[in-house]
Parts: sequence; C-alpha cells; structure tokens
Amino acid sequence: MTGLVYGTNLIVTLMLAHLIASILAVEWRNLRWSVFALMAQSALLVGIFASFAFLFPRATHLWGWVAAALVTKVIVIPTLLLTYLKRLPEREVRPVVGLRLSLALVLIMTVIFYRLMHTYVEFVAPTTEALGEPVRSSLAIAFTVFALGLYVLIARRDAIKIVIGIVLLENGVHLSLISLAPTLVETTILGITSNVVVAAWLLLYLTGAIYREWGTTDTAKLSTLKR
Amino acid sequence: MPASITPMQSDLPWLVFVLPTAVGLFILLVGRFSRWLREGVALAGLAATFVVSAQVAAAVLHGHVLTAWGHTLYVDGLSALMEILGSLMGAVIVVYSIRFISHEVTGDPASTRRRYTTYYALLLLFIGMMNWTCATNNVIMLWVSLEATTFATAFLVTFYWRRESLEAGYKYLLLVTVGVTFALFGCVLVYTAAVPLLGGRAGEALLLTSLGKVAGEIPKNIALLASAFFIAGFGTKAGLVPFHAWLPDAHAEAPAPVSALLSGIVIKVGAYALARTITMFSGYSAVVVFVAILCSASMLIGMGLAFVQDDLKRMLAYSSVAQIAYVVEGLGLGTYLGIYGGLFHLINHTLIKALLFLSAGAVMYATGTRKISELSGLARTMPVTAFCFLVGALAIGGLPPLNGFWSKLTLFLALGDKGLLWAAVIGVVTAMMSVACFLMAAYKMFWGAYRAPAFAAANPHAKEVPASMWGGMVALALLCVSIGIYPRLVYPLLDSATRCILSILGR
Repeated sequence: MTGLVYGTNLIVTLMLAHLIASILAVEWRNLRWSVFALMAQSALLVGIFASFAFLFPRATHLWGWVAAALVTKVIVIPTLLLTYLKRLPEREVRPVVGLRLSLALVLIMTVIFYRLMHTYVEFVAPTTEALGEPVRSSLAIAFTVFALGLYVLIARRDAIKIVIGIVLLENGVHLSLISLAPTLVETTILGITSNVVVAAWLLLYLTGAIYREWGTTDTAKLSTLKR
Repeated sequence: MPASITPMQSDLPWLVFVLPTAVGLFILLVGRFSRWLREGVALAGLAATFVVSAQVAAAVLHGHVLTAWGHTLYVDGLSALMEILGSLMGAVIVVYSIRFISHEVTGDPASTRRRYTTYYALLLLFIGMMNWTCATNNVIMLWVSLEATTFATAFLVTFYWRRESLEAGYKYLLLVTVGVTFALFGCVLVYTAAVPLLGGRAGEALLLTSLGKVAGEIPKNIALLASAFFIAGFGTKAGLVPFHAWLPDAHAEAPAPVSALLSGIVIKVGAYALARTITMFSGYSAVVVFVAILCSASMLIGMGLAFVQDDLKRMLAYSSVAQIAYVVEGLGLGTYLGIYGGLFHLINHTLIKALLFLSAGAVMYATGTRKISELSGLARTMPVTAFCFLVGALAIGGLPPLNGFWSKLTLFLALGDKGLLWAAVIGVVTAMMSVACFLMAAYKMFWGAYRAPAFAAANPHAKEVPASMWGGMVALALLCVSIGIYPRLVYPLLDSATRCILSILGR
C-alpha cells in the first residue's frame, strides 16, 4: 500500500513539473528554447507513463506507450522542429497578447482549469476508477494541457509555435488516454503516436515552403484568401 | 437482401485498402520513368480496387458481412458503398486529370514529372487510406486512418505550389488536424466507458460492433459529451458550420479534379465516421436535435455564402457545406428512413458535386478564368460542358426527375417522421436557394448574352475540352439522370448499408 502512496506522490510531482514545462513551452519567446521546454515536457510525460506502468504491472501495454512516446515525442518531433528552425527565424513572431499578460492569462487559466477538472471530474470520467487518485489528477492535468495547446493555436501567430501547440494538444489527449485506458493494444498506440509525427512533419514542411514563398512565418499574414 | 446478416471470414477487407496503398507507393517509386507507370498504373490500380469493391458489394448483398484479422476489419454494406464510390470517382478523376493537369503545369520536365508522380501516387494513397477507414472496426484506428486521409490529400491541395494554394493547404491541414483531435477524445471516452460494460475485455471495447451493442448503457453525460466531441471532430472533416473554415479555400485553390475529390469523397469520409459513431447515441433526443440545429445552420449559412460568390469554385465549395449537412442530418436521425435518406444523398452529392467541379474545371481549362462575371455565352462553343453543368445544377437543387430530388424527399419525410418539421422546412428553403443560385450561375456562364469584351478578346478560341475530360463528366451526368429516373438502381446497396448500421446497434 505504501508503494502505491509513494507512486502516487511521484506521479503528482511529475505532473506538476509536466505542467510547468508546458507553460514554459507556451510562453518562451525564443523558439529554440521553447522546443527544449517541449522536449522536457514530453520527457516528463514519458516519466508519467513509466510510473503508471510501475503502478499497474498488469497493464503490460503501458511499456509500449513508454517506448513509443520516448521515440516520437522526446526524440523525433523535437529533432524535426530544431531542423526546420535552422532555416526559419528563431525569434517568435510578436503575438497578439504581450508576454506579461499572456503569462498571467496562462497561469490563471491553468489554475482554474485544473481546479474545475479536479473537482468535477465525474463529468468526464466514464468509470469509477477514474474518480480516484492518481487518475483524477492526471485527467485534470491532461485537460489543462489540452486547453493550453488550444490557447496557443488561438493566440499565437508563429507557425512553429502553432506546431508546438498541436503537439501540446496531442500530449494532453495521450495523457488522458493513458489514464483512462491503460490497456490499449500496441497497434493503436503505434497508430496514434505516429500520427502526431506525420502531422507535425507535414505542417513544418508547408511552413518551410510558405517561408520561402512569403518570407515570413506569421500565419496572420496568410490572408490572401480572406474576403 | 436476405433478412439475417451472417459474418464471413474473407481476404477482401484487407485487399481493398492494401491494394491501392501498394499501387500508390509503387507509383511514388517508379512513376517518374514513364507516364504509363503513373497514369496507366494508377488507372489499373483503381480498376482492380473497383473489382475488389464490387466483390465486397456482391457478398454484402448476399447477406454477409466480411471480417478479417480477427474482428479488427469489418466490411458491411456501408463500407461497400463507400469503397465502390471511392474507386469509381478515383478512376473518373484520374482520366480527367491526364489532360487537365498537363495543361496547367509548366516548368522543366524533371520537376513536372516529379509533381505528376506525387499527384497520382497521393490520389491512390488517399483511396487506400479511405478504404482503410471504411474497413476498420477499431474505433481508434478509425480516427487514425481518417487523419491519414487528411495527410494524403494535403499535398494534393497544394499541388500548384503557389501562395494561395500553400495557404489553403496549410489551413486545411491545420484546421482538420486540430478539429479531428476532438474526435479522439470522443473515441477515448466511449472506449473507456464500454470496457466495464463488456466485462472488462479491453480488446473488445475497441470494436465498433461491440460498442454499438452497449452504447445505450453508457452513462448519459459521457454519451452526450462524446457525441459533442464526435460532431466537432468528424464534423470538421465533413465541413459542417462552424467547423468549415478550411473548406472553401481548399476547394477553390486545389486543381479542379482534386476539388471534385475533396467534395465528392474526402468530406464524405467525415460523414462515414459520423455514421459509425453518432448513430450509437441517436437514442438521445438531445443529440438528434443538436445535429439538426447544426445542420440547418450549415445549410442556411453555406447556401447564403454560396449566393454571394463570384468565384465559381468557391460557390460550389460553399454549396458543399450546405449539402453535406443534408447527409449528416439524415444520419443523425438514427431511424431507417433518416439513415437511408442521408446515405442516398451521400451518393447523389458525390456524383453531382464531382460533376459540377469537373465542369467548372472544364470552363477554367477552356477560358482560364473562374469568375462567373467574366464568363458568358459559353454554350455556343462548349455544348457538352454546358449540358453537364445544367444537369448538375438542376440535380443539386433537388428538382425531379433527377437523383437529388429523391434523396432530399426521403430526408424531408424522415425529418417529418421524427417531428422535426422546422428542419424539413429549412431543408426545402435551402434546396430552393440552391436551384436559384446554380441556375443563375449556369445562365450567366453558358447562355447569357455573348458579352464579348475582356474574356473573348483574350481567348478567341474557347472550345470544348478533350474527350478524356468530358467523357467522365457525361458519365456522371448520365448516372445522375438514371438514378433520378430509376432510383431502384441504388436501392439494394443503400438498403443493405442502412440495415447494417442499424444491426450493429441491435435495432
């Protein structure tokens, strides 16, 4: 029993760090550092997956998640981002919302969203296990990270930042997937994780082409078709 | 079709998506060496896929559903319908593209060869991914393969590699990827809720066929939340308002045959996914009414925006927003008549909108413009295109005796049956708006007084397009007319598809 308590404490610590890394990835205006923050965020996610795997030794598929997430999220996607960044401006396009205001917004949003999800978790928890710890906290974190990703997509104009936003979004979904459905089979794990890699790669490829054509990574300037 | 549906082990379910995928990869590897290795192989691949789909349909019509790889692949009437439509439209589009694309692309031979190769390879890969979506029985793989269809078509949208097409492709990829992520949440919720209901057998809870059986026992709040996620996610792919922002740009900036593919097949993949998911929860009247409201908004906003467009392809694109709403509205009702009407309109809209986009492409091919205000009197020089566009315009408005009439009528009856008379009225109003909008455009472009100036001076030789292009258009127009005159042509497959959806739900 004490093992479970320690395990739960470890997971909660990892989750808090995961949340802080997410906020850093959202707010860091130097894109290279933002990618490093994303890398740390993903590494912590892998840590959470691994501790789930220790906690539920019967769910052997969790190790598949750990491996797939390690390869795709910690290695492949950040490498892709850093490779494309070599050809693109390293400084983020000035966002609509200034740094201080944005940071305040994100912190407030995070706290409120986390509290709400934690308190009213029965609204999204399909099973009784999901009402107890550590699933409850991890669901709350998952939805908060998802919301952070959405915030990036809405408030930011830089194409690279938008890819980072999508990765955050997907990381949130994957965390909820792990917490709710630890018994998922390997093929689906492979499908889901490789999907994000392809999405990120194609978006970066198009971003590169747009930069060559328009000389900017500012998505707000992509408005020839608006009428 | 026999009353009972019996499962049968078969190789067809995997063949139907592995085959076009393999052909697509083959073209990607060797397509640059000769046009036969691109266009010829693409056409042969689609013909083979069509044969396999026809075999699937034959088995389905004999009362079987085909399963493979355990139960992870499951092909029933609905899948057969989508697969036949996909390979048929794919073949028409490939034949049309041969002349259309070579007319549009100039540049050094090596790079054009590379672009053609990617074009035909992606077309085949898309058909492969779509058939995978229609063959899988795994709710998460449904999401994965649906995403893969977006990836396969993104670079078809950006084919011209101009500013506008890059912008349209970027928006398409970004918005659909983000939108569809919501559907993954829905899949996760439904799956997790179903595990305890199925006695903890996790593998089984992934299967759509098992989910359908326990969907009624899933807690109400989870069912409603999951439905909302499904509608937002797969609705983005289908192009429903308010998730339609990607649709007009992508349709307008893609090459015309790709627009025909997008409107004809790609958005139908979203409708297919909705048919597999939200029908599970059509027992809740909240879901039915929510879908009806969203679809009515789509119809009015889509058709309203179509009215004010001067760009022919944008007009067609906005009309797709309105027309896909008919399909989804029918599916959302969850009754036999509703699903039947929705699927009937799915077939009809595929044929009609592909016909209209290909005709628009023919106009662009001959005149180099797609502005309705710059065109006039084309019927004199392009009689075949004029005829095809007119058939499409009348059919999409739902005028008898064309195919659009029957599907819309079925749908209105189904809506009335369910007590949603207001939605039926909105549907009728939208249909009338479509007739007005399309006839006006057709009149201006093909029959309006021959206002020579700008365009005629620049293009004195606007003449009919080559037979490889109008051949496909005429075939589609004839299909529209024949289904209109003799709707029983598609009845067996539609009936089977509808009953297969209902039988998964145990109704």
